[in-house]
Amino acid sequence: MNKGFSFSEFSKQSPKGLLIIYLAEIYKVLKLFWIFLFILFKDFSKFTSYGIIYIYLGVFVLLSFLFIRSYLIYLNFQFKVFNDHFILKKGILKKTNIEIPFQRIQNINFKQNIVQQLIGVFEVNIETAGSNDTEIAIKALSLEKATALKKIVSTAKFTDLNLKKEKELEPILTISPFALLKVSLTENHLQNLLLFLAVLFGFFNQIQQVSESLGQSEVLGGLITDSTSNLSTNLVLLFIVLVLLTLIALLSSFVKVFLLHFNLTAYLKKDAFEINQGLFTKKTIVLKKEKIQTITFSTNPLKRAIGISFVTFKQAVSGKTKKKKKERPIRLVGCKQEQLEVIKNTVYSNLDVLEKQKVYPNSYYAKRLFIYAGLFLLVVYSLLYFIFNHIEIAYSLVLVLPITILLILKKIKKRFYKISDSMIVVGKGVLETHLIFLNLFKVQHIQLKQSIFQKKSKVATIILQTASGKINLPCISYLEAIQLYNHTLYKVETSKKSWM
Amino acid sequence: MSEDFKNEVVIQLPNISIIPFQNINKAYIKVISINFFLISLTSFIGLFLLQYYLLSEDILQYIIQLYLGLGTLCILLYGYFLLAFPNRKYAIRNKDISYKYGLLVFKTTTVPFSRIQHVEIDERPISRFFNLAAIRIYTAGDDSDDLVIKGIQKQKALEIKEFISTTINE
Repeated sequence: MNKGFSFSEFSKQSPKGLLIIYLAEIYKVLKLFWIFLFILFKDFSKFTSYGIIYIYLGVFVLLSFLFIRSYLIYLNFQFKVFNDHFILKKGILKKTNIEIPFQRIQNINFKQNIVQQLIGVFEVNIETAGSNDTEIAIKALSLEKATALKKIVSTAKFTDLNLKKEKELEPILTISPFALLKVSLTENHLQNLLLFLAVLFGFFNQIQQVSESLGQSEVLGGLITDSTSNLSTNLVLLFIVLVLLTLIALLSSFVKVFLLHFNLTAYLKKDAFEINQGLFTKKTIVLKKEKIQTITFSTNPLKRAIGISFVTFKQAVSGKTKKKKKERPIRLVGCKQEQLEVIKNTVYSNLDVLEKQKVYPNSYYAKRLFIYAGLFLLVVYSLLYFIFNHIEIAYSLVLVLPITILLILKKIKKRFYKISDSMIVVGKGVLETHLIFLNLFKVQHIQLKQSIFQKKSKVATIILQTASGKINLPCISYLEAIQLYNHTLYKVETSKKSWM
Repeated sequence: MSEDFKNEVVIQLPNISIIPFQNINKAYIKVISINFFLISLTSFIGLFLLQYYLLSEDILQYIIQLYLGLGTLCILLYGYFLLAFPNRKYAIRNKDISYKYGLLVFKTTTVPFSRIQHVEIDERPISRFFNLAAIRIYTAGDDSDDLVIKGIQKQKALEIKEFISTTINE
């Protein structure tokens, strides 16, 4: 134990934190005005030497202003631990005093981005859940101070937690770079490609908006029309584009997996998982068992072939801020079967749910999916016909129709649920297969939905709302739905355990 | 011990399909009507202003159809609200609160008291005129889907809020 840091007095961040705050401030400004800089640099040569002096002066004033601001932020950011509360004072003009009782602290996570790694400090995030308090981030603490703080909070909270044994723990999961390569090769490339294209599109859009306002839209516009007219005539180009897209997809999966999960190690502690991962931004996440709302075990055909799956833990969404900052779920990639078993057995004491019968949705579900897909295709093809005026477009249906039907059949086959006295397991997915585990008493509220068509077929949809999102059980028979509804409520209302 | 006994009550009345639901206050239909009238009026005024200041000739030749379309939309929506009104019902049991509504899609939502984060009562100007209030119940789930019961007599709403708060704090 580090007796040196008791945090009974107000203390500031590590002096190196000043640099971190300064860089963060500069980054904030850059993010707001990067487009202006872009324009500035493009026409840099056009400025007279007289103008350039003003620009340099402006930049200098801005930088020194930011430095003073950062210094004040640093001076005013003070925290201490008092009476099992974490107390934080911050703010230059608008002073804020935040007090958090230890019981309300959900997690203390360490993070290191590349700058923080270089100067050897840690960012400490204190998460609270289900309240209006936003998350607290201490930008720079030395390792000793950070671990000391963590120990104070977690020992005060769980006196039985034996922290001395920490170092001897064997990790339950370590992923070597080679295994990570396998993981990245079997990722859902289509999804990653779409993600990449979305980012690219957003970027392109922003540039276009600016250049349009400057009256230069013809250049970019001309580029687009050129390439599209080529595309429709030149099959070779289409082939090249396809190959390129495949490469981009592979590369983006590769980059994503390595950035997020490099050096992934997971430890199992008495009542928590500790997960370390990340390439540039190293993250240490402590995941308390009782804070976990749902666990999803997912795999896809490629991953199944080499026997790995990935596990997604969802915790309560912290802080009901209006900003809608969605928390990234905690993900373990490249888990083998035995690790899945370990995870299941640690978190859930009673796994008899797995032996229960699978309950599939009513045939109404299949009908509804086919009708929706049919209507969707009808609308899309009418629109396409309306735009291009070529009936030949319909020929593509030869390819599209079987794929759609196949995907829908897959989706129907993977939709099921299993329920035991205390737990529910929901299966879903199209290309990937997801298995969601939920303790029934963690449900926040429950909804039964029935359209008039569903009523005729005596089916209903159940929506289980948890603190980390909802779980749908579409189109199950009405009687089962009512039973499930009543049973879940009974479980929630008689449970004495806390849901977080 | 006494708490265990209270759980029994839940077992006795387990079935959501047979609990007696109460209708919300009849006067709320007036609130809906007035609100609806105001919204329709604003959209008609909006269209009127558009006609005089903004719309080009090409669109103006269809102006009658636009007015008719807006009119039918309003009437249909109003009819839908009127027909759906009797379906707005709520029920309070010892351990949870339920609300159901909907005409084409029926929805029943139940929030157990033990999961409630906080309860709010709000009175909008028109509702206040009829002495009505809305109860908003927040849980840790997605905020959009929490329970809102509009059109309850203010006195009753306060009682319900009081009942829930005391039950939560037990």
